[in-house]
Amino acid sequence: MAERFGPSDPPSGWDLTRNPRVARLLRSRRFQFLLILPNQLVFWTVIFVGLLGTVVPGLNFGTAITWYIWFCLVFVMMVVVGRAWCAMCPFGGFAEWIQRRTLWQRTQKVLGLGRKFPEPLARYGFLLPVATFLLLTWIEEYFNIAGPGTPSATSWMVVGIVTSALLFFLIFERRTFCRYLCPLSALIGTVGSMGSVAGFRTKDREVCLSCETKDCMRGGEEGFGCPWYTWPASADSNLACGLCSECYKACPSNNIGMYLQKPLTSVIAPTRRRADVAWAVALLWGLVLYQQINALSIYATVDTWLNSHLAFPHYPNPVAYMGLIVALALLTAGVMWTISRVFARKDMTFTVKGNFMERASRFRAYFVPLTYGMIPVVGADYFARQLPKFFQHATRIVPAVQQTLGSQTAIKSPLYQMRLLSNPHIVGVQVTIIAIGTLAAVWSTWKISGREIVPVSRGGAAVRVASLSLVLVFGAVAAMLYVLMNAAD
Amino acid sequence: MTQLAAHEIPAQAADRPLHVTVLIDRCAGCQECVVRCPAGALSMDSGRWVAVADDSLCVGCRQCERTCPFSAITVRGPLAVAARNEPPHSRLEQPTGDNSEVRAGFASWDEALAEASRCLDCPDPTCVRGCPAHNDIPSFIRAVRDRDLVTAHEVIRLTSFLPDVCSRVCDQASQCEGSCTWSLAGGEPVAIGKLERFITDNVPVPAPAKPGPAGSGLSVAVVGSGPAGIGAAWELVEAGAEVTVYERDPEPSGLIGWGIPDFTLPQEVSARPWQQLTAAGVDLRCGTEVTADDVDRLLTEHDAVILAHGAPMPLRMPVPGADLDGVVDASSFLKAGKAALENGDVISLPDSLIGLAEARDGAGCASPLVLVLGAGNTALDVARTARRLGLRAVCVDWVDEHFALARPDELAEAREEGVDIRFLHTVSSLEGEDGRVRRAALIKTRQHRADRRPKTLHEAPEMLDVDLVVMAMGYRLHPALAARLPGTPLAREARGVPDRRWLASGILASPAPEFAHGKPVGRLALGREVALTASSLPLQERLWAAGDALVGPSTVVEAMSQGRRAAAAVISAGPTRGQPRPPRRVLVAYESRTGHTERAARLIADGLRSTDAVVRMVPLREATLPELADTDLLIVGTWVEGMVVGGVRPAAATRSWLAGLPRLAGLRVATFCTFAISPKQTLATMRGELQDHGMVVIAEGAIGPGARSIPRAAERFTGQLLATAWPGPAAG
Repeated sequence: MAERFGPSDPPSGWDLTRNPRVARLLRSRRFQFLLILPNQLVFWTVIFVGLLGTVVPGLNFGTAITWYIWFCLVFVMMVVVGRAWCAMCPFGGFAEWIQRRTLWQRTQKVLGLGRKFPEPLARYGFLLPVATFLLLTWIEEYFNIAGPGTPSATSWMVVGIVTSALLFFLIFERRTFCRYLCPLSALIGTVGSMGSVAGFRTKDREVCLSCETKDCMRGGEEGFGCPWYTWPASADSNLACGLCSECYKACPSNNIGMYLQKPLTSVIAPTRRRADVAWAVALLWGLVLYQQINALSIYATVDTWLNSHLAFPHYPNPVAYMGLIVALALLTAGVMWTISRVFARKDMTFTVKGNFMERASRFRAYFVPLTYGMIPVVGADYFARQLPKFFQHATRIVPAVQQTLGSQTAIKSPLYQMRLLSNPHIVGVQVTIIAIGTLAAVWSTWKISGREIVPVSRGGAAVRVASLSLVLVFGAVAAMLYVLMNAAD
Repeated sequence: MTQLAAHEIPAQAADRPLHVTVLIDRCAGCQECVVRCPAGALSMDSGRWVAVADDSLCVGCRQCERTCPFSAITVRGPLAVAARNEPPHSRLEQPTGDNSEVRAGFASWDEALAEASRCLDCPDPTCVRGCPAHNDIPSFIRAVRDRDLVTAHEVIRLTSFLPDVCSRVCDQASQCEGSCTWSLAGGEPVAIGKLERFITDNVPVPAPAKPGPAGSGLSVAVVGSGPAGIGAAWELVEAGAEVTVYERDPEPSGLIGWGIPDFTLPQEVSARPWQQLTAAGVDLRCGTEVTADDVDRLLTEHDAVILAHGAPMPLRMPVPGADLDGVVDASSFLKAGKAALENGDVISLPDSLIGLAEARDGAGCASPLVLVLGAGNTALDVARTARRLGLRAVCVDWVDEHFALARPDELAEAREEGVDIRFLHTVSSLEGEDGRVRRAALIKTRQHRADRRPKTLHEAPEMLDVDLVVMAMGYRLHPALAARLPGTPLAREARGVPDRRWLASGILASPAPEFAHGKPVGRLALGREVALTASSLPLQERLWAAGDALVGPSTVVEAMSQGRRAAAAVISAGPTRGQPRPPRRVLVAYESRTGHTERAARLIADGLRSTDAVVRMVPLREATLPELADTDLLIVGTWVEGMVVGGVRPAAATRSWLAGLPRLAGLRVATFCTFAISPKQTLATMRGELQDHGMVVIAEGAIGPGARSIPRAAERFTGQLLATAWPGPAAG
């Protein structure tokens, strides 16, 4: 057991609940409600102001807060904490209030059908949220919701997310929506694994294993069973810990703590690697590269050509969109497949049959750990992609608030035109972020390849060099694309 | 340990093999399924830390599916179990005069062993939870498989004194068998009742064990000799207590004596417990009625009193004509019918029913008709007795048959015997001639849900010529005795968070099993558990109640278990007449926020350890009913919430704990609070709440202000407590 969980277990002293104030806060049933409430107010305001307020995107509170501030903040929270956003998310939070028939109390009867998510779908794990993220991004590109589009489009998008969340919360049990369908779930889960909060973990695994009731999973006197299907005693990453603190409240043995961990621990340390996470990272990488490539003039040419031949009316052409993303993911996988062909030991058997989540192969022995190593560069790329909007428009939140409160002169505010940073400085920051992400990815890949790739390879040094070179190339590509995008502007 | 007999796989299983899917995405490796799988088909893959299944070992019982906390397992395929062996019951189309037992037990070892081999010997057996007495069913079935019926009796004796009775009269379908893992999986459960009967059919139920020392010197009065009284007397006499049982009727055994006909429970079986108990030295005083006024006298004559007087008052339907001659209650009819059948004289009925004989004479060839109001188990007993007396019988019940209270097998048997059972009917009036009932007006009813009262339909009534009407809608408590016992009848309903161990076992999984006719076996069992726990708590100092007296009409097995539990509580508490004994079991329960209250509680607990009492210390939320039932002196400590000026009171958790307390009559309690500036009315609030629940507050202490004062104030409080509860040498 020490071998299985030793690398991913946080140090015992890094338990935040040792502080009585933190413990009291997390013990309180109002804790998550108070996290959700401000966001709830903001996003209902987004819906109403987006629909009823000014049609000038830069002056509309809905557009300004969603696309200039919130998206950036979510990324910062991901990288620093993990699923911090999930703990305060107003979409799932709202639906959960209704599902539980309460704002914060521990209720026994839930509203809705409480179905289990069908196993044939659930076995694809975090690939499902990637699919919904790809769909949402395509819709966002199509209607130009974020860029900045019309404010009502943002409202309808939020209404759509809240409605689908509510629907799924009423059909399925727990946070099935957040775990399997929320468009942000895979991104937050994977990029969030760089974060320094390990989440809620067991203090003493033996106590959990001998626990007769498993209140943290089934729900106890004070807390609900884990809405995210995570058991604190076997969690080896923060991937699926929603930081809701229900397990902490439910545990009858006071055997759960909220732990910090070194950054990147949940990238490097997990012993059980997941194929769905690996493919999710590859596809998310394809998507973020797509979002860089589509700013280049060559992409517009291809898109227009495809639209005219496929009689599709509008950018982005779905074939070009999905085609490019899948091609980029497959290209990434292809390079890793090549590494596996070249370096894998011939005297080892890799094949294990089973369904998508269960099977093992020579390709997966390389692809899965190497994609985990890529997470920092993918995360950095997503973050860098959001920066121009933040630097160019973040200050517009002030006139947008003034406008919402009835000011007629908000558009004349100097903050409306103000830019925190302009090009080429923005590109400089983007490249720097990519560089930091690439360094983190190099470190992760170095550690991962040493533990998981070298033992299955011939020529340990060579395979490590190949793996690190791959990450460096990825970083260089992302950085170069920012430079090219700037040139295209 | 017995090796499991090989399970015979039904033929269709070969074509559609079982397949277990572990959803790796959600499997957390908690091993709940691994420890519960009775077939060893699940194991842990320690590398991936997930459960893995071996389909070839799976028997399809789906315990894993029911108990996985994250619903990460699915099982596909048929149940791999042989068909249930059910001994045939006698088909009596002409039952007149036949008083022999209808239901048979297993006739041979082969039959019993075949059925016993269907038991999976589940590691977390749901049948044990489903049994109101919590018999260790897998162990006694294992003993049957070992052909060791003496051991089987030893296993049963740990929890039940009435296996021969219960195996005949229990509604196993909604209890142990309904909760069998095969039943929960949608199949036919192991015939647990029949196996229990096989044991008692072949080896006599052993007499009470030699008296032990635990209850030595105790004098206990038990009021009533029915199942609850038997349970209590048996437990007490085995513990060495001096037991006096007061019975109103001339014969002992209560309902199992007069209320269940011989064709269901033969006389030699129902008489067995009291033959053994009187031989073991229980002082049985039949023909001695105890009224509400006598209870105080009994308390002065005995160290403890257990009221197990049952629910003897028949319910009567307030219908026009109910006071006519020829309208009787079930107990009168059953007693008379039983006596007539025992005499072998099916025609001569006692005076109260004499009109029947007249009707019979006047009606010529057509036999008289008995209209039974109700179609529950008692009503069916009445109707079937009537058939054996050569009468025609019609049962009417206003509920839908889907929600009927009677055992389905009993309904089927009654119909075979020619009883006309009409559900969704009720009587709107009874009409008579010369003061004697002659006709009944029947109207139809409608009922859509079990928890809704049926509605009568406004249609023209159907007139039925009747010769006798028997009201058999059930019984109720004696009003004067019920008034003597506050809080009774207790609702058998589990509220709030269900017990987590029960939840973990899978017995509460829905939907309700088909074999149990849609009854929610888990919820029912949890409700019974509430009553079982309550029976261990005194309703007044040195006064306990069990069985119908506590919960209203219940079953034989429930009453027996509650009687046992109450007697065990008496033995454990060891009450005495006269001066109360110093407490022997002290529970210090504290609600602490910063640790100050816990520290004070520890100092107090340590201080009390100078006495010879056993002192336990638990956080308030862990001070649950079983803990409280095992306590002579309760010490409750809390921190004080609120601002300096306003809202100063016991902490919210303490208040909600106090509000949720049951009645703990006579329990001695001491309270303390730790405070920073002023406790204000904290102790008075706690005192009021505790007294409302029947407890006696013997000491109070405000410990503070602040942390520095804790040691001295705790010492002062302990001293005060010692002086009050341990007068004499211990206080020094």
